[in-house]
Amino acid sequence: MTVATRSPTVTGAGASALERWYRWLLRSYPRDYRNGHGDEIVATLLETAEPGRALPSPRESLSLVAAGFRARVAHAARGPAWADALHLGILAVSVAHLAVLVPYATSVPLWVGLSALAVLLVMRGRVRLALPVTLLVATKIGAITLGRPWLDATLLPVRRDPVWSGEHGDVLYGAGGGTLYGAGGPVAPMLGYALVAGGLLVLAVRAPRPRPRSWLWWAAVPALAGADPAGLDFADGPGALTAARVAVEIGLLCLAAHAGRVARDPRWAAAAGIYLVPVCAVYAENLGAHPVQDLAHLAVLVLLTALAAGLPYHARQHALL
Amino acid sequence: MVSRMAKGSPSVSEPTYFILASLLDGPLHGHGIIKQTLALSEGRVRLPVGTLYGALDRLAANGLITVDREETVDGRPRRYFRLTDPGRNLVSAEALRMQQAAAVVTSRILRPGSAFS
Repeated sequence: MTVATRSPTVTGAGASALERWYRWLLRSYPRDYRNGHGDEIVATLLETAEPGRALPSPRESLSLVAAGFRARVAHAARGPAWADALHLGILAVSVAHLAVLVPYATSVPLWVGLSALAVLLVMRGRVRLALPVTLLVATKIGAITLGRPWLDATLLPVRRDPVWSGEHGDVLYGAGGGTLYGAGGPVAPMLGYALVAGGLLVLAVRAPRPRPRSWLWWAAVPALAGADPAGLDFADGPGALTAARVAVEIGLLCLAAHAGRVARDPRWAAAAGIYLVPVCAVYAENLGAHPVQDLAHLAVLVLLTALAAGLPYHARQHALL
Repeated sequence: MVSRMAKGSPSVSEPTYFILASLLDGPLHGHGIIKQTLALSEGRVRLPVGTLYGALDRLAANGLITVDREETVDGRPRRYFRLTDPGRNLVSAEALRMQQAAAVVTSRILRPGSAFS
């Protein structure tokens, strides 16, 4: 039953400025949640605010952002976990594949475009359309790594565009690192593409259509672009690209761990595990060629993934209402 | 009974305990719950609004509280929450458990001849 009444409320310019701040902070909540309960939460915030306050207190602001994140995680932890994890994992691998190609955009524009199309289709949940596009790109990448002229004539080695190399390109990427898949073998890239194609096939056959993912995934492409998948080469001079890749990977894995703990759900850890498969393949294929800094990078990724896997179970055992 | 309840149900945090306790006397809306928890805890539990509504969502999802009614005040919606029977049982069991735990100490320190009496 809904009843309409009137009661004294906070009014004035300060209250309207405060309300605008609260509504801005409420953007941390999912849109559906804001539409359903946003007005009620703002009303409670205004009722509890001290008279004359024009800015939210840091405590209230942090609480809103944290609760918004929790609501987003709860909103995301719906549907079959395995299908969600598989979709998220192959999206992350697809983004990494596109990021590898981006610095070669003027040399292989068609394949960079098709790779971007594959990411878009995976991101929007159009797995049946994404599968043939991914297979096409995978075939071309296989051709490049094996030195074969499949699908179209590509001059090998494929060199980075000048804007990505700069005057320190050789130092940043090491010997052969400035060429597309020049520092590693064909197995790891092929395993990555096979993983994506297999995942798309499973999702197309077994699961309902995955829900669309955030457009924010595009922001990871420039952050990961330019970092050689075969290694980070910290020893030769850690550049901004390498630092950005490590920061994005660690940031996303920390988010996965936190989301898993909050929702007591292992789907984000499983997605992180899928992302780790081609990364580990790179290290395995180039065993002995990596400096200790690269191995430390792999160890951090594995440890964070293990943490993300363990936290949901820990949270279930120590559940607090 | 207390140990059985504790084994079969998740632990209750202090803010959640006071939220449930604040609803023992009848349905309340968000601001009412914040004022009541502050009063019941003698000023110790000052719930931020984001935390409150997150807790209310979790309690409702676990069937411990439910929406009693909705009102519109000055054009803004307002939900009144009330305890369900499982919620009432949980907060009662938690109170008994804490009473039992407190008695372990108070029965000793208040005993004639003890160092604290």
